[in-house]
Amino acid sequence: MSAMPVEDLAIDLLTDRPWITLVWNDPINLMTYVTYVFQSYFGYDKPKAELLMLDVHEKGRAVVSTGTREEMERDVAAMHSYGLWATLQKDD
Amino acid sequence: MFKSGLGGKLTLKLDPAQHGVLSQLFDQMAELLEDPDSENGSDPLAKLLNMSGSTQISEDPALARLFPDGYTGDEHASADFRRFTEQDLRAQKIAALSVARETLSEWTGKSSVTPQQAQHWLKALNDLRLVLGTRLEITDDADRDHDSEEPGMHLYNYLTYLQGTLIDALS
Repeated sequence: MSAMPVEDLAIDLLTDRPWITLVWNDPINLMTYVTYVFQSYFGYDKPKAELLMLDVHEKGRAVVSTGTREEMERDVAAMHSYGLWATLQKDD
Repeated sequence: MFKSGLGGKLTLKLDPAQHGVLSQLFDQMAELLEDPDSENGSDPLAKLLNMSGSTQISEDPALARLFPDGYTGDEHASADFRRFTEQDLRAQKIAALSVARETLSEWTGKSSVTPQQAQHWLKALNDLRLVLGTRLEITDDADRDHDSEEPGMHLYNYLTYLQGTLIDALS
């Protein structure tokens, strides 16, 4: 039986945004480069981009964007074009 | 090294040895990227449907790093994602590489790089670092400073330095 509260389900159905893009830590990409990519592709300001980069670096991964499956496929493809290691999945 | 200049333009200064080594490495990258191992490549119907891309991650660790799976732990979805996106990703990487190689082919000690060209340089240099780093089996952050006497490591550290100057010049 689903434990999802009714209001959360309603939000999911209305917005159709249950997918996430994850960026994974890797030993080669420079921290400054990862920050730069988050700023220039997602348009995040420097403090937010740096926080996300540190999350990737220290926790091994970070959710960098949320949206529809199609949007996340686009974001993952863009991350791959920058050489970042990214995947998408359903948010759970 | 890269430096920011007037009107958003950047300058790239390389000595002959640096120019030679970068040119060689980019030539090797071009060979690596332009040799796709797609067995479906000759299927005209697949080509027509733009589905001639492969569905499996490469067995070459460096190519696997450049063209990773798209989905977390979902082989089937990753295969579909790869079939529809890998060719375009490969084309983008080849395009970035071509811009960098063009700059190098016109080199006279110092080159001028437009902001748009700089974005291609950023990706081409990073792809090169990913391939070299994978070949050198760099597996954790501490490895970066390991054994810089080793020729491959020396090259890798130089590319890291160059990429750093480019990011600084763009920031």
